[in-house]
Amino acid sequence: MLVLRLAWRNLFRNTRRTVLTGLLLSLSLTALILTNGLVLGMVELMVGSVTKTLAGEAQIHRRGYLDDFDAELFLDNIDDITAYLDAAPDVAEYAPRIMTGAIVTSSYNVSAGLVYGVDPVRELGVSRLADALVEGEYLSGGRREIMIGTEMASLLEVSLGDRIVITASHARSGEISQDLYRVSGIFQFGLTEMDEAMAFINLDAARELVGLADGAHQIAVQFTDPELAKNREHPLYQELSTEAVEALSWLDFNPQIAGVIEWSNYSTIIIGVVLFFLASIGVVNSMFMSIYERFYEFGVIKAVGTTPGAILRLVLLEALLIAIASCVAGNLLGYLASGYFQQNGIPFGRMEMSGVVIEKVYTRLALTQFTAYPVYITLLTLTAALYPALFAARITPSEALHRSL
Amino acid sequence: MDNVIETRGVYRHFGEEQARVVALDEVSITIERGEFTAIIGPSGSGKTTLLHIIGGLDNPDRGDVLLSGTNIADMSGNALSDFRRDHIGFIFQAYNLIPVLSAEENIEYIMLLQGRPAVERRERVQQMLSMVGLEGLGSRRPGELSGGQQQRVAVARAMASGPDIILADEPTANLDSRTGIALLDVMRALNEEQNMTFVFSTHDQKIMDRARRLIVLEDGRVVDDQRR
Repeated sequence: MLVLRLAWRNLFRNTRRTVLTGLLLSLSLTALILTNGLVLGMVELMVGSVTKTLAGEAQIHRRGYLDDFDAELFLDNIDDITAYLDAAPDVAEYAPRIMTGAIVTSSYNVSAGLVYGVDPVRELGVSRLADALVEGEYLSGGRREIMIGTEMASLLEVSLGDRIVITASHARSGEISQDLYRVSGIFQFGLTEMDEAMAFINLDAARELVGLADGAHQIAVQFTDPELAKNREHPLYQELSTEAVEALSWLDFNPQIAGVIEWSNYSTIIIGVVLFFLASIGVVNSMFMSIYERFYEFGVIKAVGTTPGAILRLVLLEALLIAIASCVAGNLLGYLASGYFQQNGIPFGRMEMSGVVIEKVYTRLALTQFTAYPVYITLLTLTAALYPALFAARITPSEALHRSL
Repeated sequence: MDNVIETRGVYRHFGEEQARVVALDEVSITIERGEFTAIIGPSGSGKTTLLHIIGGLDNPDRGDVLLSGTNIADMSGNALSDFRRDHIGFIFQAYNLIPVLSAEENIEYIMLLQGRPAVERRERVQQMLSMVGLEGLGSRRPGELSGGQQQRVAVARAMASGPDIILADEPTANLDSRTGIALLDVMRALNEEQNMTFVFSTHDQKIMDRARRLIVLEDGRVVDDQRR
């Protein structure tokens, strides 16, 4: 206890220096917690944007469909697949879709587009189509209903209730087919490509348009736990993938986002290393100043029989106490700062990254930020203090007593 | 009487070539248990160097230094630290104490290094404070004590470990005359009552007057050795 008291009181010989060193360490920890919270928030936003907006966490297609979205490559009989999905405990929702490239024509203009045929009820569970609605009504199953994006509505100069003709080709024969729809809803996802080029009609109407009695081009799936989607060994991927069919995680059908997320994780490490390096310089400097100020005193306590090992332990104990106090403060500051931005978000203006619009990122708190990072800070502090501690341990009493007098 | 300190042909120099200074040149002395000895001489005569070598704070270039029969001339590291802790008490000119510890804690510190149990340490701390006349001042930190009181705490600390000898390097240099005399009286009383061996390095006439033996150094050599 006496050594602990000695170490603790030594910290307050120069309170200002100790507080500054502690601030350096605690602010480094706070910055690291915030950085990681921001990265986690951004990853969550990007993954959510990819998987919740439209694509789903997993997709099932005919093998090769994703290469060029060839309408001929449809899932002929989806009953077996839907039966599997209905029974799978990890699957929360799924929705079959027809997808076809089409010419979209109004009385005033014409545009190329990608038409989705969706089951309006099932689609509620896998995408945010209903949430994106800005005018009119969501699909209700009507034969002539169509939802288009705000950009397409502007291009075609149409509004709710106006007529639109879709020209597509039959999936099997390639024959041209046309049908008439009335704008029932206008959506805005916020991504120009989606708002300009996508249109949604009911699944049965889409099947009729492309000449299919049943079947689908895609089945979008949401898991009960988003983390399951990232496990490529999950039974869903293993058991539904055959020679003709492929079941893919979003990591595979959206590799750009997966790459960005991997890079984001490295960014925490890079920022952490830079912060740790700067903090360690501060610790070494502060400890050396403290030791030089006590040079004579180290000579005296060595003269009376303190071993080099005991001096080493004393200096490291001082560093440990600074680290512990700094980690408590850093955790508290980090919790408050990250907690604030978790509630209020950090505005990014309107940044588009890999097809994801980022307007505001909400930081995320994680247990490791408050457990592992303080341990890293403590280990860093002890490592940085080792050099000055060894220096103090090697002070020769006679030299210290001569030099200071 | 038994010899507590014995140096045989101790030689120590500092610097090299033109800057070479011989601090101690074949110094051989013997000090018996219970002596109250002052090593005196002009500045640069080698007093402090001899005291440091006797105290194991410095090693001689050659020669033997026997403390209570143990040759410490070649000891180093932890073995030397442990030997100093258990056999030698030090009192320096000033700044002897750890400023962030109270007087009691400063005295206790050395016994903590010895690994003595807490109860024993606390009892002995009070004994030591009483012995140097500082009862009731144990909770004060050095900054709250006068120079003379601080040096008394240093004496108490030096005595606390139960050493064979106490080495004091100019212990009265920073004290006024009256305080210095009072401190010397305390040390003299300890010498007489407990047969503790004291060796001083000093210029101070007050110490010389009270010493029962004067060893005079000049240019690193013993030029006189008087018992009184």
